[in-house]
Amino acid sequence: MKASLKWLVELLPELSKLSADDVAKKLTFAGLEVEGVTPFGAGTEGCVVAKVVSFRPHPTKSGLRLVTVDLGEGTQEIVCGAPNVPDAGGLVVLAKLGAYLPAKDMTIARREIAGVVSEGMLCSESELGLSEESAGILILPPGTGNPGQSLIEAIPHVRDTVFEINITPNRPDGLGHVGLARDLAAVLGVAFAPKRAPTFGADDVPLDVDVKVVDQDRCPEFSTARAVGITIAPSPLAWRYRLLALGVRPISNLVDITNLVLLGHGQPMHAFDLAKVRGRAIVVRTAAEGEPFTTLDGVARKLSKDDLVVCDGEGPVALAGVMGGENSEISASTTEVLFECAYFDARGVRRTGRRHGLHTEASHRFERGTDPGGLEAALATAVKLTLEVVPGAKLSPPRYVTGATANTTPRELTTKVVSLRSSFMTRLLGIAVPLSDARGILERLGCTVHASGEGALDVALPTHRPDLSREVDLVEEVIRVRGIDTVPTELPPVRGSRAVGGREALEHSVRRAAASVGLSEAITFRFTSAKALADVFAKEATVVLENPINEHQTVMRTSLLPGLLESLAQARRHGVRSAGLFAVGPVFLPSKNDLPEERPELFAVLVGDRAAYLEKPAPVDAWDAKGVALALVAALTGKEPEVVTYTASERPAYMHPRAAAKLLLGSTVIGSFGLLHPDVGDKYDFAEALPFISLDLPTLAKHPRAPRYKAIPKFPASPRDLALVVHDDVPAGQVKAAILASAGPLATDVELFDRFTGGANIPKDHASLAFRVIYRSDERTLTDAEVEKAHAKVVKEVEERFGATQRK
Amino acid sequence: MTSSGTAEAAKEEIELALSAFHSTFVEAFAAAPTEQVLRDEKAKLLGKNGSLTAILKRMGALSADARKSVGERVNALKTEVEAAFDARLREMVAEKRKAELEARPFDLTLPGRNPIGDGHIHPISQVRADVIEIFRGLGFAVFDGPDVEHEANNFTKLGFPPDHPATDMQDSFWTKSRHVLRTHTSNIQVRAMTTVKPPMAFIAPGTVYRRDDDATHSPMFHQLEAFLIDENVSLAHLRGILSEFAERMYGPGTPIRLRPSYFPFVEPGAEVDVGCVFCKQPDGKRKGCSVCKHTGWIEILGCGMIHPVVFEHCGIDPEKYTGFALGMGLDRVAMLRYDIPNIKLLFDNDPRFLAQF
Ligand SMILES: [Zn+2]
Repeated sequence: MKASLKWLVELLPELSKLSADDVAKKLTFAGLEVEGVTPFGAGTEGCVVAKVVSFRPHPTKSGLRLVTVDLGEGTQEIVCGAPNVPDAGGLVVLAKLGAYLPAKDMTIARREIAGVVSEGMLCSESELGLSEESAGILILPPGTGNPGQSLIEAIPHVRDTVFEINITPNRPDGLGHVGLARDLAAVLGVAFAPKRAPTFGADDVPLDVDVKVVDQDRCPEFSTARAVGITIAPSPLAWRYRLLALGVRPISNLVDITNLVLLGHGQPMHAFDLAKVRGRAIVVRTAAEGEPFTTLDGVARKLSKDDLVVCDGEGPVALAGVMGGENSEISASTTEVLFECAYFDARGVRRTGRRHGLHTEASHRFERGTDPGGLEAALATAVKLTLEVVPGAKLSPPRYVTGATANTTPRELTTKVVSLRSSFMTRLLGIAVPLSDARGILERLGCTVHASGEGALDVALPTHRPDLSREVDLVEEVIRVRGIDTVPTELPPVRGSRAVGGREALEHSVRRAAASVGLSEAITFRFTSAKALADVFAKEATVVLENPINEHQTVMRTSLLPGLLESLAQARRHGVRSAGLFAVGPVFLPSKNDLPEERPELFAVLVGDRAAYLEKPAPVDAWDAKGVALALVAALTGKEPEVVTYTASERPAYMHPRAAAKLLLGSTVIGSFGLLHPDVGDKYDFAEALPFISLDLPTLAKHPRAPRYKAIPKFPASPRDLALVVHDDVPAGQVKAAILASAGPLATDVELFDRFTGGANIPKDHASLAFRVIYRSDERTLTDAEVEKAHAKVVKEVEERFGATQRK
Repeated sequence: MTSSGTAEAAKEEIELALSAFHSTFVEAFAAAPTEQVLRDEKAKLLGKNGSLTAILKRMGALSADARKSVGERVNALKTEVEAAFDARLREMVAEKRKAELEARPFDLTLPGRNPIGDGHIHPISQVRADVIEIFRGLGFAVFDGPDVEHEANNFTKLGFPPDHPATDMQDSFWTKSRHVLRTHTSNIQVRAMTTVKPPMAFIAPGTVYRRDDDATHSPMFHQLEAFLIDENVSLAHLRGILSEFAERMYGPGTPIRLRPSYFPFVEPGAEVDVGCVFCKQPDGKRKGCSVCKHTGWIEILGCGMIHPVVFEHCGIDPEKYTGFALGMGLDRVAMLRYDIPNIKLLFDNDPRFLAQF
C-alpha cells in the first residue's frame, strides 16, 4: 500500500509537526511496516509558473523556438524544443537556473544553444518526475497560480512523500488513508474525527433504477446513487498528481473519483455508465454455472455458481468485488452514472478471485474485509468529489439495500461487545497498563468503551476492524499503540521439558561423526523427480506433490542419492574433481499410518582422488568406502560391524555387483558400502565407479556408544609375521579369520599389513598377503616355545585350508 | 565411343565400386576389436581420404540423371555406415560394461583405508546446533516432527482462517493424499500441545517448504521455533528470552527491539530486530552498514503470545495457561553470520563453499 504524507497530514494535521521519517517510524512501530520512503515530484522544487508572452523561431536551428515568458518580476527568453508551446497567455512550468531534476539527473545551467543563451528550461511532466508524459511541455490550466509563483505553491500536490507500507492481511483498515490516519492519531494520542462529507440528493432526481439484492449472505450491504449531468473530462491536476504519486494512472474524472475513494476510505467503488445498464435494473446474485461474462480486461469467462455477480436487467455487469465488465464501462460519452458502494463477503470474493486468477485493488481489499459500516462515508465522498469537478452534476438520494429492505440511510449495524479485564491484560503483557490508558487507546481506534465494574471495560468493536473479535485482540491493540517495546525484559522461570523424538540429536551426532572422517555435509532438496529416483534404482516415491513448482521437484525422495549426485556432478562441472559429500535426513516411505514414514538416513559418496602426501594422487575406491563406513560406525556405536558381501539376489540395484557389502551389528543390518553401479554414475556423467556409504539411522540408534573399561595389558606382546602366497580368489578376510581361529587363545589380534600381486615370486592369479599375529597373555610373559607352537598351527592351517605357501 | 557411352561405363564402374564398398564395412566393423580401431575403420570409409569420397570424386564423369541416382545411393550408404557404426559402438560399450560388471569381485574383506578427517558440517546445521545449544541452556528441549503434515496441524489448529489471505503468506505444497509439506515449524506447537501436558518448553528445528523460488527464496528452507507454555507466561518473559538469546548468539549487550506484526497463531505478534553485528562500534553503538540497510538493526525472527484459539484447538485452557512462541529462519541466520550473499549457495553444496565453514 502506497500512502501520501500530504494526504495523511490533511486528515490529521498534527502530523505536520513530524518529519516524514518520524511518521514512517510511528507507522512501523504501530505494526504498519514502512518498507520505503520515496519523494514524489522532487524535481518541482526549483520550478515556477511562467506565462508565455510570445515566441519566435530560433534564428538558425529549426525545431527550436525562443519563448519569452513572464515571471512576474520581469520576462526572460528560453530556448524550447517542445512542439506544444501555448499561445500568449498560456501557463507553463519553468525550471530556473540551479534547479535539479532528479528524473533526468540534470541541474539547470546557463546554456548556449546555437548562439542563443538560455537560462532555464520549460519542462514536461516526465522531466519533472511527475509522470511518463514527455510528448510536450506541461501546460497548466488558466488560473493556476501567478507568473513567477513557485509551482509547489501553485499546485501543492506536485510535491509529496510516499510511504510504501507492508499491510499485514489482518489490517484491511490500513489499506486506506483514513485508516492509517486513525492509527497514527491513536499513537499520537489525539482524537480522530474525520470530516464527514455532507448529505446529498435532490428530490427531482430519483434513483430511477430497480435495485435488488438476491444473495444477502454474500452482499449484506449495498448502496447506490445516481448522478446525472455528467461530463467526462480529465481530472484537475491536484487529483492527477495525487493519483500519480500513489502509482495509480489517472483516467478520467469519474473513474479517478472511485480510485480516490478506494485510496482514501479503503472502500472499492464502481461507477456504471447508466445508459449501458440494460433495463435500468441492478440485481446482485450468484451466477449460473457456466454463465458467460467478459471482464474489463477483455477476458471472456465462464462463471461458477459460487461467483457473485452484479447484473443489470439482462445479465452480469460486474464480477462482484473483483472486476467490472466491458459492457458498462465509463466512456467519454457518459452523461449518467450509477455509483455502487457495497460490502461483499470476504471469503466469497477471495474464492472468486482465485478461481479466475484475478487480483485487483478491489478484491485485495474486499477479501481482507472492508468496513460494512463505512458505505455512507465513502459514497458521500464520491458525491462530494463529483460535485467538485462536474459543476452541472445532480445527484439522486442514496439508496441502501439490505436484503429486501431499502432505505435512504444505512441501517444501524450491531457491534460485538467484548470485555477487557485489567487482570488478563497484566498477566499477558507482564506489565500493568492503567485501564484508563487502555480505554483512551481503544476509543481513539474507534471503539465505544464503557467501564464494566471494577477493573474491566466493555468494548464495542468498530466495524472497520474485522480483525478484532476477542479480549486478546484488545490487549494487542493496547500494547501495539502504547508501544510493544515498552514491555519490560524479564527472564521466565522455565520448567523444562524432556526431548521428544530424538531425530535432531541423532542426525547431529551423525553429522559430527561424518565430518570427523573427512566428509562434508550437503543439504539437498527433499523433493526430487520420479525420473531422478528411477535413475538411481531407488524405490518409487509414494509422496507425490499435487502442485509442484517445477518438473524436477515433484515427489518426496526415497533416496538421498539423486541430490548428492547432482551436487557432485555440478561440482565436477565447475572443475572440482575430488570431494566426499554426505547428506543426513529423511527418506519418505509408505507406512501403515496416514502420514508417510520419514526415515532418517546417512548417505555419502566419494569422487575423484584421495588426499595423498607428496605423491601422485590415486582415485578413491571401495576400500575408502569401507574405511569411512567402519570409522563412522565406530564413532557412533563404538563397535566394529561385521562386513558381509551382498549376494546377487539381495543386492540393491544401485550397487556395483563386484563391490557391495552390508554392515551388521549382531544380526541387524545397519548400513552398507561399496561402489555405485556404473549405470548410476552414467546418469550423472561419472565415468568411474563411485564409492558410497549408507547408514540406516534408526537401527544405528539402537546401538549407542557405551564404552566399558578393559584392563590394559600388563605383559608384553610377542608378534609373529606370516607372509603367504594364496590364490587371488581367496578373500583376505577368510584367511585372517582362519589365522585367528587356529592360533588359539594366545593370539589376541591379527592384522593384514601388506598385500601385493605380480612380481617374480608370485604366480599368476596369486597374491602375497602379510599378516602380523599378536600373541599375548594377561597372566604372564609368553615363552618363545609357546608362541612358536601356536604359530606352527596357524601355518599348517592356512597351508592346508587355502593351499597357501609361505613366502620366506 | 560417344560421350554418353563413356558416362554409361563410368556409371557401371561406380556402381560396382559401391557394391564392393557395401560388403566391406559390415565385416570391418564387426571385426574391430577396440573402439579406436572401429573409429579408424569408419574414417577409412567416410573420411576425407576415405573410399566413399574417392568414389564420389569420380562422379564428374556421369550424366546428370546418373549423378542423381548414384548420389542418392551414396547418401543411403552413408546413413547405413553411420547406423552400423553406432550399433557396433553400442555393442562395444555394452561388452565393456558387461566385462566390468562380471569380472572377479573386489575383495571387500581387505581392510578399509583409514579416512583423513577434514570434513565440514553445513553452515545451516552449525547455526542450528548453536541455536539449539542456547535454548537447551535456557531449559528448552527439542521436539521433532514430520515434514509431511496434516492440514489441521499446519493450518487449522493454528487458527489460520479458511479462504483468508493470511494463507497467501505461506503458499504451500500439497501432496496427492491432501497432506501439506509443513510451511513452518509451528506444526510442532500443535503436536506438543496435543500430546504433552503443560507446562512445556520446547524447541522445534525443522525443514519447511513454501512455493517460492526466486533470488531471495528457496522452496525448501529451515526454521527453528521455541515455545514456552505455563501458567503465567507473559510478553515480558518473551522479551527476556529473546534478549538472552540475542546476547548469547550475538554477544553480550546486543540490543533487541520489537515491532508489532501479524502471524495468525500469536496475539500480540511481533517481529524482532537485533542490533546489527556488522557495524557495531566499540562503544556498542551502530553506525549503519549495507547489511542493516543503514538502520543499525537486523530483523531475525517473528514471535508473539500464543493465540488462545490455538490453546482451545489443542485442548488447553487459555484462562489457565499462557505461552509464547518465537521462530526464526536458520538459512537467514546462517547467511548473516557467515556473510553469505545468496540463498542458492546454501543448496548448491559446492565443496569449495562447504570447506569454508
Ligand atoms: Zn549494520
